[in-house]
Amino acid sequence: MKIVAVMPAYHEAARIGTAVSHVRVCVDEVIVVDDGSRDDTAEVAREAGARVLRHAVNRGQGAALRTGTDAALKRGATIIVHVDADGQHDPSFLPALIAPIQRGEAAIVFGSRFLGVRSEGMPFARRVLLFAARQFSGLVLGISRRMTDPQSGMRALSRDAAMQLRWTQDRMAHCSEILRMVSQSSLAWTEVPVQIRYTADSLAKGQKATDALKIVWQLLVRSIS
Amino acid sequence: MIIQFALSAVFLGALVWTWRRFRQQALRRLEAFVWSALWLAAGVAVWWPNVTTRLANLVGIGRGSDFVLYIAVTVLTVLVLHLHVAHDKLSREFTELVRHDALKDVDRS
Ligand SMILES: Nc1nc2c(ncn2[C@@H]2O[C@H](COP(=O)(O)OP(=O)(O)O)[C@@H](O)[C@H]2O)c(=O)[nH]1
Ligand SMILES: [Mg+2]
Repeated sequence: MKIVAVMPAYHEAARIGTAVSHVRVCVDEVIVVDDGSRDDTAEVAREAGARVLRHAVNRGQGAALRTGTDAALKRGATIIVHVDADGQHDPSFLPALIAPIQRGEAAIVFGSRFLGVRSEGMPFARRVLLFAARQFSGLVLGISRRMTDPQSGMRALSRDAAMQLRWTQDRMAHCSEILRMVSQSSLAWTEVPVQIRYTADSLAKGQKATDALKIVWQLLVRSIS
Repeated sequence: MIIQFALSAVFLGALVWTWRRFRQQALRRLEAFVWSALWLAAGVAVWWPNVTTRLANLVGIGRGSDFVLYIAVTVLTVLVLHLHVAHDKLSREFTELVRHDALKDVDRS
């Protein structure tokens, strides 16, 4: 059993050091994909003990996750977890995220912010946005209604699932794309509750409400191509 | 009046341009004729808008200029979408290239 964490990072020099060292103790290996950052993200991550791959040009979170996942497969991972590099994902949830795969009950496990555990300080506007996103997911994309968190970035994949799910959305739309692929596959999936930290600086740098429109647009362009 | 003269100048220029391209053998004779017909039709529509109005009435649209506008918007929409799809494909291929480069030193141990 080899558990590898994949952390996509773009301009995270200030936060990635602690994030990597916290995740490292829970897994066998940490792969950071530095997505063309122009700050010290790569050096800081390496010093904190991660294996660092580099996209020469910024290609987006979805692309970086795919690259990191391919690398993890190459390195013989049996379980792959996706964790944000900005410290918003609390690594103390990792054992619970991995457990269903270890028990053979699921091929993919999603961390959900809406299963009982309250996320700290989530703004009201973000709640409304997530509700709208769920309606779009169900109606247009055909994502299972039992999936409670359309934009959760914390997930664990078995080796099989990682090989089978070849998402091609390079930017933020990969979350929806993965949920849709899983909904329409025969892979066993489940959700576990996770808590996300909404701190001032992670919110300032993170996704804005208008980015939701970009995601919708990217999914639509792909659907007519 | 001003708009009619301005547009006429544009279409006349296009006509001259088209036949110059023909002389340079960049266009075949048939192609040059088709383009010429298009410029002439545009000129007719500018000076005798009734023609487009009659066409518009045929499909149930009241005004000729509306008819032209609807067609233009439709064509532009299709072109823009086409551009986005092509851009999407290109950026996926670009990602594959960047990924290939990022993975080249990864090995088993
Ligand atoms: N590889 C890569 N990672 C990104 C990019 N944009 C954001 N990220 C990373 O993805 C994670 C989540 O991004 P963030 O912007 O905080 O999104 P949010 O947490 O959903 O608001 C963090 O680890 C970021 O460093 C990008 O363009 N490329
Ligand atoms: Mg974040």
